[in-house]
Amino acid sequence: MELQDTYYNKSEYVETASGNKVSRQTVLCGSQNIVLHGKVIVQSDAIIRGDLANVKTGRFCIISKGSVIRPPFKKFSKGVAFFPLQMGDHVFVGENTVVNAAVVGSYVYIGKNVVIGRRCVLKDCCMIEDNSVLPAETVVPSFARYSGNPARLITTLPEAMPDLMTEFTKSYYQHFLPTTVN
Amino acid sequence: MSQNIKILPGATVCEDCTLEGDITIGGGTVIHPRVTIIADGGPIIIAEYCIIEEYSTIIHKKSDKQENPPKPLFIGAHNVFEVGCRLESSFGHIGESNVFECRSFVGVNVKIGSGCVIGAACNLTVTQTLADNTVIWGSEHHNREALEKQPSQLLQLDFLSKVMPNYHRLRKPNVHKRLPSRQSQEISK
Amino acid sequence: MAYLTQPDYIKYVCSCGQLKPITNLYFCRHCLKIRCGFCICHEVDSHYCANCLENMPSSEARLKKNRCSSCFDCPSCFHTLSTRATIAQPRQDPAAGDAKIENKQPKKMYYLSCFNCRWTSRDVGIPDQPVASGGWPERTNPFAARVNQLLDYYKAIAQQEKQEKLDRERKKFAIRGKYMNLTDKTGLTGAMARNIAGLASSESSSSAIANFVPSQASEEVEELPEDYHTQEVNLKQITSMRQRLRAAEWQPRSAARLQPAARALSVKRSQRCRACDHNLTKPEYNPGSVKFKIELLAYYHVPEVKIISYETVKPGETTALLLKLTNPTAHEMQVRLLQPQDVPEVEEREEPKSIEKSLEKSLNLEKDSSWSKVLQRRAALPTACAVRAPDAALTLAQRDDAAEYDDDPQHDTSDIIMWRKSNKLALRLQVATAAGAAPGGPARAALALQYSYRNTVPPAAAAPAPRDHTLYTTLVIHLGTVAE
Repeated sequence: MELQDTYYNKSEYVETASGNKVSRQTVLCGSQNIVLHGKVIVQSDAIIRGDLANVKTGRFCIISKGSVIRPPFKKFSKGVAFFPLQMGDHVFVGENTVVNAAVVGSYVYIGKNVVIGRRCVLKDCCMIEDNSVLPAETVVPSFARYSGNPARLITTLPEAMPDLMTEFTKSYYQHFLPTTVN
Repeated sequence: MSQNIKILPGATVCEDCTLEGDITIGGGTVIHPRVTIIADGGPIIIAEYCIIEEYSTIIHKKSDKQENPPKPLFIGAHNVFEVGCRLESSFGHIGESNVFECRSFVGVNVKIGSGCVIGAACNLTVTQTLADNTVIWGSEHHNREALEKQPSQLLQLDFLSKVMPNYHRLRKPNVHKRLPSRQSQEISK
Repeated sequence: MAYLTQPDYIKYVCSCGQLKPITNLYFCRHCLKIRCGFCICHEVDSHYCANCLENMPSSEARLKKNRCSSCFDCPSCFHTLSTRATIAQPRQDPAAGDAKIENKQPKKMYYLSCFNCRWTSRDVGIPDQPVASGGWPERTNPFAARVNQLLDYYKAIAQQEKQEKLDRERKKFAIRGKYMNLTDKTGLTGAMARNIAGLASSESSSSAIANFVPSQASEEVEELPEDYHTQEVNLKQITSMRQRLRAAEWQPRSAARLQPAARALSVKRSQRCRACDHNLTKPEYNPGSVKFKIELLAYYHVPEVKIISYETVKPGETTALLLKLTNPTAHEMQVRLLQPQDVPEVEEREEPKSIEKSLEKSLNLEKDSSWSKVLQRRAALPTACAVRAPDAALTLAQRDDAAEYDDDPQHDTSDIIMWRKSNKLALRLQVATAAGAAPGGPARAALALQYSYRNTVPPAAAAPAPRDHTLYTTLVIHLGTVAE
């Protein structure tokens, strides 16, 4: 099935020159440390914690409502350091999901109500199903589909995953339209 | 409802959070933005060195068989409430050094000791008492006993209390050190 | 992507008769047929650990029982263990006389810890290690000797049977001669070489059979302890069935005897067409890479059909159906919609047995050919609903990556074509449902596509094959349930 149009209130969103669409109802802490690489959608009530460490996303990322993107910390013998959080291109983060990962690769689909534990590494082309919990420091390999609490590998993904994710995020962006009625 | 929020010196409390009712926040505690703490059925006292992360909710619910004056909900020191967790426990006391992981839920009739870990997305709704050092994890709510208490987050608190004032509007501590300590305050009420 | 989060609305018929979404299908450019995971050959390319992403040669992997040497799984919850470091003050052990050594430097010690259930290697008393990876105590299987004995025995039997089979074959056919042939050169089996040299089968195998002692069932079984039924059970101290079976060699009963288990390796696999032995997919060697050296997916070669929207199907009525066709290839495509029964039967031509073929056969002596019978099944196609196919050839432009910057879609004046946009085409079709369709049942319609396909495989010098082909594919469209 084709994606249906999603409408947003034009006054609620800010569109940047590079095509990022960011809701005004979000909490972008330390916005100088947040880099959205263009055509990124950040929906209402999402929190990006740039104050803790740098957060970088690639192009065509979708950060859904109520999700929290939070750089992870690691304890050392002499204090705590928050690690920068990197996200690749074409990443979808579902509603009310908490991402504490260190690295999220490209072409990654994270469902809704998911918890990605601290310092997880999500390689390119992987999928975390809805309501899963990925414990801290998990490495999700490419073409793996994880599900459950704690999340385990349930199956593999088709080889065309990069193209599927590219198509999905691009069409999501194209179908994310402002309402014309004021 | 009476608004009576006491923030002790050394606490870092973001302005962008909902605090309702009679709430005392101990020194060294860090409250991240978008936190909801509602002291509906009685005061909530949060001790020192707790971390309360985004979208966590702590509610002291009103109940029918309430004592008068209402019993406070006392949350011990060094507790960590991770993103999106929800605590409704109305037992007067939550121990110390517990970790409430992301999106966990602790219902009204759950009594929690010290050093417990409520795993991510675990729902505790049935009446129960968690012994010290209990670890609950997974969708089937497996539990086991940890060997030792969860390590303290003092180093993280140190970092947060240094960094957060640079980026967030904070609520000012309104109780000064000279004033009587928390316990004597309780007595004076 | 919709393929991952939505049910499979459209399924294609694989040449083996299975119905699968297009993302799970492959397209063999040499047979020009759709293949699926069921009817192709899966081969292990390389072993790697999914946690540390370290490659391991297959010989080493076999030696290590397909387990990573540096990563461990938690024996309690099976999540991967993390290595934690602590600063340990060197213990002064007066008994050992170490006190004399002035080694007051704090030393980094490492232990394993699970972030899911908080299990640590200290829980079961494994001493901390001075190095970050490796050095963890290894336990040997208490029955290792017996397991090895059994392995030797069965290996010997397998070899003996192979030998007998070869002898029979040799009797059947005339002796090929004393020249080295391909099978010898590749060293298919040591037994074959010995055979040709006229040696008796190896001594070791017969001795393994001769010395083997079968196990004996014991008459007497140890009695259960007296307090077995009266002893109070502490569930936190005994292991669960899953935990026991995870460590099959030891099967610990007490939680205090759990040991970290080495993590099982993952494999990269390549896939091969069984009919022509060409590779369909071949991944890059690097475990972190998502690229493929060969990637013959149906998604890249067969026109993709997607539902835009549809009217609820009612018995005895015609309803509208909007479809989107996409041409994924770099060549223009002519597509014609057909009824599935109009697809011409493809006659199976018997391949001329070339010399290479027979050589290949001789290499794969044990290759099972029964699969071809299994694979010649036909898919059961639904008949209750029928898509009214327009009798017109539709032209689909080639894929153009720059097209996404194009303007609005072109609206066509035709009845059936709603719009065109680079390599995409939206169609307005009618679905006729039989009056007898059971309400509440699934509404499924079959549709066939005839499409032109340009083969980009460089033709063999000897026999230039035609480049343009007319191919057929059948698909089943799920249109929800039949309404009342």
